[in-house]
Amino acid sequence: MITVDPVIIALLAIVAVPFVGAIIMGLDRRLTARMQGRVGPPLLQPIYDVLKLLRKEPIVVNRVQVVYACLHLAFMILCVVLLALGQDMLMVLFVLAFSTIALILGGMSVRSPYSRIGSQREIMQMLSYEPILILMMVGIYLINGSFMARDILVSGKPLLLSLPLLFPAFLLVMTIKLQKSPFDFATSHHGHQEIVKGITLEYSGPFLAILEIAHWYETFLLFFIATMFWATSIPVGLLIAAVCFFGVILLDNIVARLTWPWMLRFMWTAGLGLAATNILWLYI
Amino acid sequence: MQMYIILPLLLIFGPLLFGVLVMLAPGWRFKTPLIVLSALVMIAGAVLLALQGSFALSIDARIMKALPLIELLIIAAIIYIGFRIKKWLVIGLGALQLAIGLASEMLPHAAHEHVSALNVDLLSMIMVLIISVIGSLITVYAIGYMKKHEAHGPEQMRSTGLFFLFLIGFLGMMNGLVLSNDLKLLAIFWEATTLCSFMLIGHDRTTAAGESAYRALWINTLGGAALMLASLLGAAGGGPESLDGLVAGGALLPLALICLAAFTKSAQLPFQSWLLGAMVAPTPVSALLHSSTMVKAGVYLIIRLAPGLGDTRLGQVVAITGAFTFALASAMAVSQSNGKKVLAYSTIANLGLIITCAAIHTPLAYAAAILLTCFHAISKALLFLCMGTIEQSIGSRDIEAMEGLMRKMPVTTVIAIIGMVSMMLPPFGMLIGKWMALEAVIMSPLVLFLLIMGSALTVVFWSKWIGRIQTVAYHPSYKVEDVPFSMFAAKGILLSGVVVATVTVVPFFKRIIGPMAVAAFSGVEVAPRSWDLMKSVDSFIEWPLFAMLGFVVLVLLLTIKGINKSHVREPFLCGENLEGARTTFEFRSLMDKGESARIRSYYLNPLFGEAHLTAWANPVAMALIFVMFGVIGK
Amino acid sequence: MSCREKSPWIVHFNCNSCNGCDIEFLACLTPIYDVERFGIVHVGNPKHADILVVSGAVNHRNARVLKNVYEQMPSPKAVVALGACGATGGIMADCYNVLGGVEKVIPVDVLVPGCPPRPEAIMDGILQAAKLLNVRREDRPIEAEVRLTLQPVGEPENV
Repeated sequence: MITVDPVIIALLAIVAVPFVGAIIMGLDRRLTARMQGRVGPPLLQPIYDVLKLLRKEPIVVNRVQVVYACLHLAFMILCVVLLALGQDMLMVLFVLAFSTIALILGGMSVRSPYSRIGSQREIMQMLSYEPILILMMVGIYLINGSFMARDILVSGKPLLLSLPLLFPAFLLVMTIKLQKSPFDFATSHHGHQEIVKGITLEYSGPFLAILEIAHWYETFLLFFIATMFWATSIPVGLLIAAVCFFGVILLDNIVARLTWPWMLRFMWTAGLGLAATNILWLYI
Repeated sequence: MQMYIILPLLLIFGPLLFGVLVMLAPGWRFKTPLIVLSALVMIAGAVLLALQGSFALSIDARIMKALPLIELLIIAAIIYIGFRIKKWLVIGLGALQLAIGLASEMLPHAAHEHVSALNVDLLSMIMVLIISVIGSLITVYAIGYMKKHEAHGPEQMRSTGLFFLFLIGFLGMMNGLVLSNDLKLLAIFWEATTLCSFMLIGHDRTTAAGESAYRALWINTLGGAALMLASLLGAAGGGPESLDGLVAGGALLPLALICLAAFTKSAQLPFQSWLLGAMVAPTPVSALLHSSTMVKAGVYLIIRLAPGLGDTRLGQVVAITGAFTFALASAMAVSQSNGKKVLAYSTIANLGLIITCAAIHTPLAYAAAILLTCFHAISKALLFLCMGTIEQSIGSRDIEAMEGLMRKMPVTTVIAIIGMVSMMLPPFGMLIGKWMALEAVIMSPLVLFLLIMGSALTVVFWSKWIGRIQTVAYHPSYKVEDVPFSMFAAKGILLSGVVVATVTVVPFFKRIIGPMAVAAFSGVEVAPRSWDLMKSVDSFIEWPLFAMLGFVVLVLLLTIKGINKSHVREPFLCGENLEGARTTFEFRSLMDKGESARIRSYYLNPLFGEAHLTAWANPVAMALIFVMFGVIGK
Repeated sequence: MSCREKSPWIVHFNCNSCNGCDIEFLACLTPIYDVERFGIVHVGNPKHADILVVSGAVNHRNARVLKNVYEQMPSPKAVVALGACGATGGIMADCYNVLGGVEKVIPVDVLVPGCPPRPEAIMDGILQAAKLLNVRREDRPIEAEVRLTLQPVGEPENV
């Protein structure tokens, strides 16, 4: 195997990943539009949006929120870096959690009722998906005997065959993390909702751009994890990611937004149930 | 050679001496320097002891002969207190202890060849450092706190001098506890800490304080009785009467009894009520009980006995009990709006985590347990000290009442936020410990599941709290609040401790804790997989974490300066903002009246309410303890 | 074409309108007109918006709110006033509580006439406003362009 300096890999990941994420987001918007019988924006629309936002006036409610926006992005990047370096998957999840918490705290640091409600809902989202993600890593460990990302990628068996129930659970997690219906109550990609824009409401201009870029990284990360379900063959892995992508967007377009108590109940029964059942048979 | 004997004695009896001096000293003018001096002496002593290296110390046989007498004295004190507060439970438990003590005297002792009474090894050194450094800082903090408390506290409370006697003396007893190897000696220190905590919790002499002190007394006396019984059983079987011996001996019943004692002291379910009640005490007491002393005695014992627990069913049940406490206490913390109670539940939860780690029987988990003990002590002490300052300043413990605290006391708030963040997020030590714990328990599905749920819940209550206190409008500059220097200094030192511990966590693990775990498990059989996990943690690259944090700080320094008043807008309230209402959620409502939006946090009471969770969690925990004894025979 | 023109995000404020303009405006978002083709997104709040679309005449009560919403937008920003009411107060102009057109309170960049204007006209107005985002506020023509006159009522062309 060719060994490349980890610093170079990390830098490459930092630079390349957001573009991939942006393209995925662009595809998302286009596919959504097609499903609704519309033409939709150009593929590169997310990039235009961010470039525009970066050049807008940096207005704030207080300085604290800026701190959290930067932390959110930085730790999201760190997730990708750790992944690129083939580091421990559990640690990647924890760093991802840090990133999300930074977003939550940023939303709570301003005196906006909408933003605060959004943050609270985001906490509930974390509460419902975090155990499933960790269980997923446990499942991967039980198959591969290692938590390291690099070992997952070189293992000989496709994970999907051993983790068939964790896959739908992960799909639900993905729907939550990508802020799609029926779980898009903390914030939403669509303009209007009952708490306006929820957690990201008080960010504008370049700071909103920071959150958008972080979302690109996050999107990439999630789809990357999806491909890991069939890491032995890259085309099949990509196919799986594509299926996830289509499924999530389809779900987004055909279901209504539901409430967080419903989500908590659903994820702790159905989601966690699926994940735990899958894990259980791996133990036995 | 001399140092060998002097240092442990200094650390055990020095605090007592200083405590008496502080009690006798008239006025703060003399008390303050004495307290500071005692803190310095203890810190110096602990550091010197750590530099000294491991050694064992045996005590002259004549002194050892006097031990039963001291034990008798302490039991008499417990029974006397029982009569004074007219509680039959305490008297009964005291009598039980007396019976056990007498029985063990009657028994013919097997002729032991020279068991060392005090054992100074790496684990005790770490514990002594935690107790002496963090505990001493808390006593320093208490100077400022008690000055205020004297002025505003309830009238009938005991004298401040007495308070400091027990506060400082407590540290000595704790040092004794973690240093002693002889079970008799251990039991004496154990009971002494129980008595100290009884006096400290009851300091205010209000009804609530009396209740809580009583509860702390009987629960811990129960634990003490279990500990004495363990020692009796050990002796009766002609077996060892020292911790070393128990670890090597492999008799399970004494171990189970000691685990029970540890559960009471560490306030594990179903014994959590005494620690929750202990919040009524002045904050330095809570800080001491929760962080460096008392509750740490329990987990220390389990860590000490961990290699002895072995890969037995007993160990597994202990691990499950700890994990159960971790998950349930975290869930209960979610439903609390009382800040001190959240801290208390978080302590209980983390102790459960430590116990799980110690009992799961892999070197990695063992290392995680020690790491968690250290980091929890620092962070929790810091948080309690902040909490005390906040409470004295705003007159409330309610998290909802802490809205906008950032404006009133920016420094304390920032320190508190860092403290809370250090409890749950990377790259802080607690999270590193939790991460290692999760990896280490991978082969026990039930424990793993409980830990996963517990960690998810932990994040919920901390982030809610942080969110509440940091809400703030734009301020060009902050006025630093007025806090007594002693309180400020203690918090400052602890904060830098948190930061230093965070930066050095990986080297600390690789140099000290890792080899410790390897040494502890060297003669013991463990699953080969657990060594692989150890390697995987060893090969973790931590630099990107810090590089990223440093980068963020740099970026922020550049950005924040550029933000000024002209960039500030009011929050979006559908355009109905009230002019000049910068500090509240006020908006213009019907008839142009100003109205305030109240956004309470989610407490999920129907799901995680304390009352109904406790109602079934306590019986389950009780059942687990019975199971713990039941599996011994198998 | 700069990125500003490619991604004009709009916030819509109903300033006491009869809802005629609002219905036509919302029609722009439907699959038939689909403003997202141009990167136009209808965001719900001024903090994210570039263009403020106002319908209706300003009255004494909502003038303050309109001003607040405008001020909470980060610059560069532009304002599009819809319909006759937005331009002058229209049929409501003489009401006792009406101040008049939107420009009585905030600077307007594009007026879209009509009662109500057709979705095509509204889209055109928004895109013209998007071009103005590149121009500094001081250099912008006041009451930029009144290009369209009242449309005859009838079926829209086959789209």
